[in-house]
Amino acid sequence: MATIRTRSRTRETLLRLAAYLAILVALVATLFPVYWIAANSFKFDIDIFAVPPEWVPRNPTLKHYDEAFIQRPFLRYALNSFLVAVGTTAISVTFGTMAGYALARFSYPWQWRKQISFWILSTRMMPPIVSIIPLYLFFNYFDMLNTKSALIIAYTAFNLPFATWMMKSYFQDLPVELEEAAIVDGDTRWGAFLHVALPLARPGLAATAIFCLIISWNEFLLSLVITLTEQSQTLPIGIAGRVTQYSTYWGEISAAGFMACVPIVIFAFIVQKHLVRGLSLGAVKG
Amino acid sequence: MLRADKGTFAKSLRPGGGLERWRERHLRYLMLAPTVLILLALTIFPSVYMFYAAVHRISPNPDLPWEFVGIGNFARLLSDPQFHVALRNTLVFTIVAVALEFLLGLGLALLLDRFIRRLSFLKTVLMIPMMLPPIAVAITWKLIYEPQFGVLNEIMFQLGLPLQAWAGDVNLAMFSIIVADVWQWTPFIFLLMLAGLASLPVEPYEAAALDGASSWRQFWDLTLPFLKPVIAIALLLRVMDALRLFDLVFILTGGGPADRTKVLSLYIYQVAYRFADPGYAAAISLFVLFVTILLSTWFMKRMRLAE
Repeated sequence: MATIRTRSRTRETLLRLAAYLAILVALVATLFPVYWIAANSFKFDIDIFAVPPEWVPRNPTLKHYDEAFIQRPFLRYALNSFLVAVGTTAISVTFGTMAGYALARFSYPWQWRKQISFWILSTRMMPPIVSIIPLYLFFNYFDMLNTKSALIIAYTAFNLPFATWMMKSYFQDLPVELEEAAIVDGDTRWGAFLHVALPLARPGLAATAIFCLIISWNEFLLSLVITLTEQSQTLPIGIAGRVTQYSTYWGEISAAGFMACVPIVIFAFIVQKHLVRGLSLGAVKG
Repeated sequence: MLRADKGTFAKSLRPGGGLERWRERHLRYLMLAPTVLILLALTIFPSVYMFYAAVHRISPNPDLPWEFVGIGNFARLLSDPQFHVALRNTLVFTIVAVALEFLLGLGLALLLDRFIRRLSFLKTVLMIPMMLPPIAVAITWKLIYEPQFGVLNEIMFQLGLPLQAWAGDVNLAMFSIIVADVWQWTPFIFLLMLAGLASLPVEPYEAAALDGASSWRQFWDLTLPFLKPVIAIALLLRVMDALRLFDLVFILTGGGPADRTKVLSLYIYQVAYRFADPGYAAAISLFVLFVTILLSTWFMKRMRLAE
């Protein structure tokens, strides 16, 4: 008995060591590329091209940040990205929350609810590349190419279904009795939604908004097709524009690329609780 | 939720102002209407337009009328070698990348769940890649793969292995794309699996432990079956995303070398904008849409995910 126990304890210790090692490897693999782009953004060009590579910038400089954000219009791109992301999120979360609540709480004649829920979800399945040609022609027809509103409209097309489904699953989790109590106390249905259900769903609201923001901030393909000048181009397009056939402005794009990551990562750490709960809930419940 | 309607809610129609009363009576439609109208405008119209475009030859010159070609654009798919290459590349990428992401993500989640439950900030750290803009990811990996001064070749050199062109090498380009995608999206699977593991019931494991079941048996007979719905959703979402891969390829390889990484969405983009042939691009898009819907419906049925 004693030997068996010792052996299994040794085995457990070994397993534990192996697990820690695996997690350490995963952490290094996860963080190194992020560190690398950050490190390169602080190096002079000649140090970026150094062989063997300079693991830590020996001669740190803000030159590329100056290039990207002062001499070139990356600040403008970032502002565009920000405005488009906020606009899309506001629209998607507002209407998605209302629709999600309606689908979670009301009954509809002729099995509508099921059909509508599924149809809303199915619009999310359309790959962006598929909708891009009609959207392009659509915006061309209404003379909206190269505007931020066009981007907001296009992004809403794939954020709204997502927001609706996330919010639907949150409202389904809330007990309906609280709203009923509010109505008994003299509130209207709309009032019960506004004053009771909405405040209770705040974590869900936060998670949904975060995801809409991240998705819009990161989007590339639609922006590539719809926008043409720096007046409406977003950060990803601005960055891609510095990778040309003939040369790549490594320092500049490293600085811009790193700055595109920073707000998202800071944001993610601040709201990490909602993020984990939001994503898992939304995904598990469809 | 029928109860909500039939219970107190139904009696909430108080006598009051006309507008408020009207709003209350039609609330179920009013709350749904904006979403339905927006999505109708943004999906039905483009879909119809796309069907219409797919049966026409559209000249780059906007003054020329569209020429009706019927199924001509679809027939072209059969004999278009570039399309076949793109289809094959997309399938290879999807299968290999999603399989790797799944194995790594699940493995990592099991490790973290079993050995370091308490360090929750580790989860957030491991999630960073999936939150980054794909364009930043593409740039980062381009820098790492760079043949002359890239860090990967430095590591190869230190290990005494032959240096490679990575994303620029005919045989390694697709592999390079897959590695970058695995780096970005394994965290997504990892996160979903972690959430799934956190919601496992305890009792069956206690029973199994009493029966002397090995941890391998417990994993195979309890954990996997419990996780099945989460696994199914995670795979579905990843496959749908993998089928529309664009950013990484666009930046890392541009589809090259020798079309080895030309995937469907990149090909559609090239047909529409470089070859200025939106009618044919619409036909390919419809094909992709059809395959995506077919695959996901089949999968959802099989996994009994549809409510």
